[in-house]
Amino acid sequence: MEKQYRLLYDENLCIGCQACSVACRVENSVPDDCYRVQVHMQTIGIFPHLGMNYERLSCVMCENPPCVSVCPTHASFQSKDGLVHIDERACITCKYCILACPYHARFVNPIKNVVEKCTFCYETRVSKELNPACVSICPTEALSFGDMHQSNAFVAQKSQKEVLLFPKAHLRTKPKVAFIPNRKGMKS
Amino acid sequence: MAYIQGRRDFLKIATSSATATIFLPGSLGALGEVALKSEDKFIRSICEMCSSRCPMEARVVNGKTVLLQGNAFSKEMGTSLCAKGVAGSSQLYDTQRLVTPLIRVGKRGENKWAEASWEEALSLVSTKLSALKERYGAKSVLFSSKTGEHYDLLRSFASAFGSPNIFSHWSSCPIAIESAFHHTFGEKLHRDFENATYILNFGHNLFEGLDIPLTKAMAQFSANVSKKLVVFDPRFSIMASKANEWYPMKAGSDLAFVLSLLHVWIRDGKYDKKFIENYTIGFDKLADSVKEKTPQWQQSLTGIDAKVVERIADEVYQAAPRCIIDWGHKATTTKAEYQRSRAILMANILMGNVEKEGGIYFAKSAERVNALAKEIVVPELNNPYPRPHVNEPRIDGAGEVGKYRFVSKQHGALTAIPDAILSQKPYPIKGWFLTRHNPLVTLANPQKIKEAMDELEFIVVNDIYLSDTAMMADVILPESTYLERDEGISKSAFKSPFYTMRNCIVEPLHQNKSAIEMMRDLAQRMGFGTHYAWKNISELRAYQAKGNVELLQTLLMRGVASFDVPPLLALHAPSVERFCERYPKSRSWVDAQGLFSHFLEHLKTPSGKIEIYCEEVEHAFSGYGVTGAVDMDVTQGYPYVLTSGKSAVHTNGHTQNVPYLHMLLSDNPIWMHPSTAKAHGLKMGDTFYLQNAIAKERATVFITEGIRPDTLFAYMGFGHDAPSLKRTHGKGMNPSKLLSLESATLCGAMITNVGVNIIKA
Repeated sequence: MEKQYRLLYDENLCIGCQACSVACRVENSVPDDCYRVQVHMQTIGIFPHLGMNYERLSCVMCENPPCVSVCPTHASFQSKDGLVHIDERACITCKYCILACPYHARFVNPIKNVVEKCTFCYETRVSKELNPACVSICPTEALSFGDMHQSNAFVAQKSQKEVLLFPKAHLRTKPKVAFIPNRKGMKS
Repeated sequence: MAYIQGRRDFLKIATSSATATIFLPGSLGALGEVALKSEDKFIRSICEMCSSRCPMEARVVNGKTVLLQGNAFSKEMGTSLCAKGVAGSSQLYDTQRLVTPLIRVGKRGENKWAEASWEEALSLVSTKLSALKERYGAKSVLFSSKTGEHYDLLRSFASAFGSPNIFSHWSSCPIAIESAFHHTFGEKLHRDFENATYILNFGHNLFEGLDIPLTKAMAQFSANVSKKLVVFDPRFSIMASKANEWYPMKAGSDLAFVLSLLHVWIRDGKYDKKFIENYTIGFDKLADSVKEKTPQWQQSLTGIDAKVVERIADEVYQAAPRCIIDWGHKATTTKAEYQRSRAILMANILMGNVEKEGGIYFAKSAERVNALAKEIVVPELNNPYPRPHVNEPRIDGAGEVGKYRFVSKQHGALTAIPDAILSQKPYPIKGWFLTRHNPLVTLANPQKIKEAMDELEFIVVNDIYLSDTAMMADVILPESTYLERDEGISKSAFKSPFYTMRNCIVEPLHQNKSAIEMMRDLAQRMGFGTHYAWKNISELRAYQAKGNVELLQTLLMRGVASFDVPPLLALHAPSVERFCERYPKSRSWVDAQGLFSHFLEHLKTPSGKIEIYCEEVEHAFSGYGVTGAVDMDVTQGYPYVLTSGKSAVHTNGHTQNVPYLHMLLSDNPIWMHPSTAKAHGLKMGDTFYLQNAIAKERATVFITEGIRPDTLFAYMGFGHDAPSLKRTHGKGMNPSKLLSLESATLCGAMITNVGVNIIKA
């Protein structure tokens, strides 16, 4: 692999403001009422002993992507950098990948009638050495992104310092998105 | 959380009932496909999706898609921007936006309009305003505006026209803290979140009412394990979820808690005695005032254990001066809002954190930096908006006499307007000019404001949507959005000064005009064009910059101009030393301790010092010269308190119809504790009524553990009555409808906590 991308989501910095979601919508022309990324918040505990869960819902760019293996037309594929993409021309909207994805990251674009999801903004931004739109826009810098092969990259250094949680790690999908769990309030 | 909850529950209804093919007269949709003229390039400007005015950068792709992000030339911004800011393009291309002037053809408020040319509309406005002036005098016309350059512009126009009755948004928002600062320090101070180690937060909701530089600094603070954040809020807000400790205090009881903090510090001698001695007056009066305000005393008022006060008082003292007792932007908790704000300022003063790292500090404006440096290191600006003195009394007596004598006459008390119109006292009001101001959503008791508006002969509204207030107008002037217009230079200053400028990103979609163009045109028509030293925005900018081409070029290219002035805190020796190294002439100000202590001895207060006790205030409002326990009731005898606040995706009234934002949050069900809901037999999503002496409003319920059982909460800005705002019309409830026009003592602030009953539908 030429690059080893990682997107770090720090729950301690996230305020659930949805700027990432709107930036993604504008950058990628995501159709109305569809979402490539959202942050869900949930209050937990009993008053006044409360906590809040912040959960980023999007494609986690698995190294072992179930969506790719189930795709009958190879529309879902993995690039040389290990990113999972969808070739719109080959997609027959069979929705196998939607069912296979444990992260509920995929949906049918109702305008194009093809399956879509987060791309890490590969074409418009990452391939031009820019951060994905969500990372760039985040008001609190809760997201960081970079190539883990570069040891001086912020994302690599932060990964070293923090306890990382890989979503649904037990499925062995090996996500490229890692969470830094919330340290405050009651825990679920 | 309510966003997601709200979205899931209500969105489907919204989309299926939308009649997207029928366009309103004067709306963008009525024009059909719009071709844009612009190149794919970066332009830096200032956001206007809320009032924070964050520096931003736009990229226009293929002449249509406008991608917005923070302007990284502003260090505190980086590329960050909030959901509202990024959704600016969604507002720009919203088919429900107004692009053609409208003239009322039906009865007032009936929403029947004829499209008009700019010539027709502006000519009608100038004729009508001139006629009112001739017949009833210029003072018979009110002018009100949102804050920012619109306000400077309208205030200048009003005084050239001859009316003293200019109102800003202040009295429905930050006026209490502004007044408290004015009387205590002579001006408002800023907070050094970056360097603080301990922060007490009294409802300053920076994670839902976003201002990027402040929000970012606060997020870094709260995520830092070596720092401590304590949040007081009856609701489990996002801020509360990020706190080390959260206290769900009774709504409106902040004052009691802070008074007992002051009590403990003074009782134990744990305060900065040297600071108090050197820079303040009236400490003894404060000591007297809080003598009985023990931690036990506050317990029954706040619901917080006395031991907590003792512990927190000690922790803050240990952290001082790297501690901030945060006042928030707008709290308007009770009638005692002024005293609450003053108490919080006193807490900062006792900790001696003023002009120290991690404390609070005066804005280092261009003029201030130049005076300290004893040379011009930052170019100073001309004021393009002159204000000739108007020798007429205001309708609210603001800044003059009566209960609003301490309310700035530059800002006025909005809540006084309906009574003044209806009673015709002190004199008849006949017209109202509103620019980007929507009191029928954002001000208390809109029912009564509407009644008052009905009495007026002429109302003109500048807005980009056909808002609730615009619906009451005779003429609507549709402004170009902030992405389509140039403006003048804005001054900003934190520890060092900088300027920002709004630059046009795309050509106006349909010959829309900016407010600057409209007002300049009207002034010309009405015979006072010579009031201004400029004829158009280019001339305005050139005049303002005093012909400084380099400054203008920087602002055009970068949207922000800073001048590499070292950040300055007058009582922080290393920063004073850096300042002196850069500007050697400033060394003559330095005292024996290496500080600019003279700075704190010549404040804009009557005594020149920090005024813990204000003689002038005490004289007019007995018991208000020093902070103390007064007027703390918020329930007015009702069993529940309805509180309100912002969500991160909406403002107080403007954004609910913006497509991308409506998609995220389209309703504001009322937060209610499960035990309260159970007591009233309510289940999630049920309809019920909120009722008090002012109104009975229908609402739906959002049941959550995240609120006190005696408190209810609503996101502001919903419940629009204007049918032209098709997406948001009829959704949610407007908490303003339950609020009283009676304002907070002395400062004239609208009070946004109110007692209510819950009545089952």
